[in-house]
Amino acid sequence: MENAYHVGMADLIVVSAPAKLITLGLGSCIGLVIFDSAAKIAGMAHIMLPDSRGNKTAEKIGKFADTAVPTVIEEMIKKGAAKARMKAKIAGGAQMFALADASTDFLSVGSRNVKETTAMLTRAGVPLVASDTGGNKGRTVEFSTTTWMLTIKTLGKGKTEI
Amino acid sequence: MLDLSSFNHLQLDAIREVGNIGTGNAATALSELLSCMIEMDVPKADLVSVYSLSEYYGDPDALVAAVFVRSLGEFGCSLIFLQNEEDAALMVDLLLQAQFGGSPPGELQQDMLDSALTEVGNIILSSFLNAINMLIGTRHQISVPGVARDMLASILDVVAAIFGQMGDMALVVNTELRVGGAEENKRRITGNIIMLPDPSALELLLRKLQVL
Repeated sequence: MENAYHVGMADLIVVSAPAKLITLGLGSCIGLVIFDSAAKIAGMAHIMLPDSRGNKTAEKIGKFADTAVPTVIEEMIKKGAAKARMKAKIAGGAQMFALADASTDFLSVGSRNVKETTAMLTRAGVPLVASDTGGNKGRTVEFSTTTWMLTIKTLGKGKTEI
Repeated sequence: MLDLSSFNHLQLDAIREVGNIGTGNAATALSELLSCMIEMDVPKADLVSVYSLSEYYGDPDALVAAVFVRSLGEFGCSLIFLQNEEDAALMVDLLLQAQFGGSPPGELQQDMLDSALTEVGNIILSSFLNAINMLIGTRHQISVPGVARDMLASILDVVAAIFGQMGDMALVVNTELRVGGAEENKRRITGNIIMLPDPSALELLLRKLQVL
């Protein structure tokens, strides 16, 4: 029996198999999964924003791409995972409201999230093996440590697996 | 910086009252737009942490329609008008009935329906905002509205991300509108207005209301 863990907004959870990691309704946020299938350990973070710079309220480590990525890796190593075996998958980063207005730069937070998360993974040396990002639709994601697949549900589009 | 836990009762009441005034004005505008009577309950206004917004509204997978505007000026804030899909469809129906006298021109395409919904949302949010700006004597500009239909959780996810760049709390106002004349024909439409004031705007608001 797989235990299901709900990863809430700005949360970060690392588990040993068998388990299911679920995040409901990713909009501009990123669902990041890092896993080591040999050590049977996986971690998920619900990243809201690209970077924690200039933000004093960094008490939610999972909130920012630049703090979430290293922390998931660290927590996994603590549980016995090896960095050399780690792989990553990401989903999310949609831009759901399109405004024809230059002053609404902050609405493009989705694409900035994707960019920063990808950059942080590269810097950490963890290969990004699959991703489903962008667009204008929200996603619900579920990661299984039985298949090591990330299932993505989108309204009107049904399920896809990456 | 202001934080949710440090608000006293007086400040919370003041913010609730602002929500009431804004919603009252929005209901009046909607009544003129639809040319019919609209009754509303005293709205429920609350300050909610952005992290728990989705729990506040219930079923994360529910299909909702949302209209978004951004206000610039002294009282900078983002506003979202949120309805479940059925309520949004009903609202558009009423608007089209008002415009076309009960016989909408055949089947309308989705983008036309979206456009109608955007306009209703825009009018509601603009009048909500006008009332607040008049109350505290500030001037503002409002952006072109954006619209999205999606899962509740993912809409609120975007709300939290937008607002999370500036702070951790949102003012939410919920109200039920009863549209129509005679008691038995009244249609109930529920709508939620979420106002996300910039932290500096929230301070300004409390200062102008003399509770800070």
